[in-house]
Amino acid sequence: MSPSDAVLRDPGTPRITIDRPADYLHAEHTLRSWFFTTDHKRIALLYLASITGFFVLGAVAAGLIRLSLLVPNGQIFTNDTYNKLFTMHGVIMIWFFLIPSIPATFGNFLIPLMIGAKDLAFPKLNLLSWYIFMGGSLFAVVVLIVGGVDTGWTFYAPFSTTYSNTYVIPALLGVIVVGFSSILTGLNFVVTIHKMRCPGMTWFRMPIFVWTHYAVSLIFLLGTPVITMALILLVMERAFHIGVFDPRLGGDPVLFEHLFWFYSHPAVYIMVLPGMGVITELVAAFSQKRVFGYKFVAYASIGLASITFLVWGHHMFVNGQSQLASTVFSFLSFAVAVPSAVKVYNWTATIHKGAIRLDTPMLYAMGYIGLFVLGGLTGLFLATLAVDAHLHDTYFVVAHFHYIMVGGTMLAFLGGLHYWWPKFTGRMYPEAWGRVGAFLIFIGFNVTFFPQFILGYLGMPRRYHEYPPEFQLLNVLSSAGSTILAVGYLFPMVYLIWSLWFGKRAPANPWQAKGLEWTTTSPPPPHNFLRTPVVDYEPYDYAIKAREVG
Amino acid sequence: MADAAGSVAEPVGLELAEQFSSKDQQREAATLGMWAWLLTELLLFAGLFLCALVLRILYPASVTLATTHLKFWIGATNTAVLICSSFTMSGAIVTSRLGFRRLMLGCMLATAGLGSIFLLLKGFEYYQDYNEHMMPFLNMPYLLEKDTSSRLFVDVYYVTTGLHGLHLITGVSILLWLTWQASQPRFLEFHQNRIEVYGLYWHFIDLIWIIVFPVLYVLNR
Repeated sequence: MSPSDAVLRDPGTPRITIDRPADYLHAEHTLRSWFFTTDHKRIALLYLASITGFFVLGAVAAGLIRLSLLVPNGQIFTNDTYNKLFTMHGVIMIWFFLIPSIPATFGNFLIPLMIGAKDLAFPKLNLLSWYIFMGGSLFAVVVLIVGGVDTGWTFYAPFSTTYSNTYVIPALLGVIVVGFSSILTGLNFVVTIHKMRCPGMTWFRMPIFVWTHYAVSLIFLLGTPVITMALILLVMERAFHIGVFDPRLGGDPVLFEHLFWFYSHPAVYIMVLPGMGVITELVAAFSQKRVFGYKFVAYASIGLASITFLVWGHHMFVNGQSQLASTVFSFLSFAVAVPSAVKVYNWTATIHKGAIRLDTPMLYAMGYIGLFVLGGLTGLFLATLAVDAHLHDTYFVVAHFHYIMVGGTMLAFLGGLHYWWPKFTGRMYPEAWGRVGAFLIFIGFNVTFFPQFILGYLGMPRRYHEYPPEFQLLNVLSSAGSTILAVGYLFPMVYLIWSLWFGKRAPANPWQAKGLEWTTTSPPPPHNFLRTPVVDYEPYDYAIKAREVG
Repeated sequence: MADAAGSVAEPVGLELAEQFSSKDQQREAATLGMWAWLLTELLLFAGLFLCALVLRILYPASVTLATTHLKFWIGATNTAVLICSSFTMSGAIVTSRLGFRRLMLGCMLATAGLGSIFLLLKGFEYYQDYNEHMMPFLNMPYLLEKDTSSRLFVDVYYVTTGLHGLHLITGVSILLWLTWQASQPRFLEFHQNRIEVYGLYWHFIDLIWIIVFPVLYVLNR
């Protein structure tokens, strides 16, 4: 029996009986108790509901893009509509879904639970973050749907400041406002992780999930203000002709790219790192084995968060940046692969000789590892100067990006959602349906995006809706794959909602997993623990230890 | 105990919020939270400082020409005004720790007053810039029309000082609201911490100006 089992058998931990103690979901029932809650768990569910809504909108836009690309001559939508569609897809998916996805939902819910705290350090600020997020994102989404914006999610100047005839300023304002919600969430996490850990929860007893969220919070704090400033300058230039980026007004368009990518490359790690944290938890729980090289995985998270601030120039290899700068940025981009590879090797080593169960969350985790390796390796192609000159702005980049963002973050999000669903809701999801959904998503994803690697290699540029007829076969294949992917996404949406009423009641620890969140009831009581936990054991103290396997 | 102003020291303390397990933890969390926010703010300005410095390296002659049209003495006076305001804010923090509420309120009002003086001077400076046709973004002739590179620097000047001014307006408003709160009975017994945390923010606004002033006005003058 490992020490944390002793905690589970503690007579102080209540058993699930018919007269359950009031958990956080049932403590109050009014709408007011949801919209003015300061409970981090309820705020997490508010975020979950809102980002799911945004995901659906972004996915519909993606579906329309794939519909348009079925035919080579661009007959289905006009050029303008197509531009607005891919902008809508990009802006919604990146700014309003992927960036808040795992941190604002799982991070919010789980960080206090995992470190044994009653709540985040600033609960009211946490609620304020959600309101700021909703204010900014709803405003921008209405603008994107009703008016439309055609700049792409990158808002490159001077097109965005001078030439575009769409609603750029309102969309920018929405994105700027949402940035403040990220900053406040990151601030809350940093302070919580520093100051709210329960007795005995030292830094190296924290789950990797908490480590990755610490790293992400640092990026939120250090990167987001720079993009805020860059976007404010865009608004200034467009609205008041204060020239900063447009050469005719004395400005420099490359300056915008520097400021933009200084944040937006780290933003990729905002989207990836929390997923890595989720995968580490899943892999350890479903192998019933300690995380291999725990400290290295923890340090690798901080390493990724640091190096990621030094590689923004690899988005600018072909824009006239000096050869020396490009070489340095190329080298540093290769360096990012090291901590990423540390993580992948540690996951595989953790799975090796573990007691593996292939439940739905583990299926997502396995899918993640494979797709992340593919996405990561193609990233190295793009970091190579000569190869990038050929592949820049082609579908190869689109495919690479989606392998990291969908194959990586989205699968981690779904895997984590299934894994912690019993903790969130107190209900189990239907396992068989879960597995079918996971397979459909994996197959659909690969059929959609693998052809895009080939298309890009053959020279099809991104963001065009007309293409030479010889590319039609691969495009049709990709569009066909996206329908499988869409059906795959519908699965969890339907059965997870079904399970809220009809799912089996979940025990406190359905996966025999370690970690403080599993020592409390499912769902947890309003202040998380009936007694403040005391930790006197190592993280992931599963029965199988890495050194026994040898 | 009576202080020089004749008021009596009040009890000083903190109300424990439910998510914390001790007052020390709560105090440290609040301070760290403000420091984290200031770090974010610093990076908000950092991009602008970087722009200004890069422009100085790329177009030294144009930038020097543009800086000679900035009002050096108003900027210098404003620097002194803000340093004085930081001094009075420190006074507010020290007196709040000792529980001397009236002195503290006086220091806070003085701080808000100095902040307002800064804003008035800054407004006057903008007005002079306007008269000298140093506002290239308006639909009127620009003094250095032929020197397009200077224009970018002048734009960065307006965005940076404008953003700093916005922080100061916010800062003075919060300070006045906080002064009103602090004038309520038993404020120090439950919320002394707010003065400390706010003090950090005020010092930060001062510090940013101390970077803005040399970067925009002084270098290569």
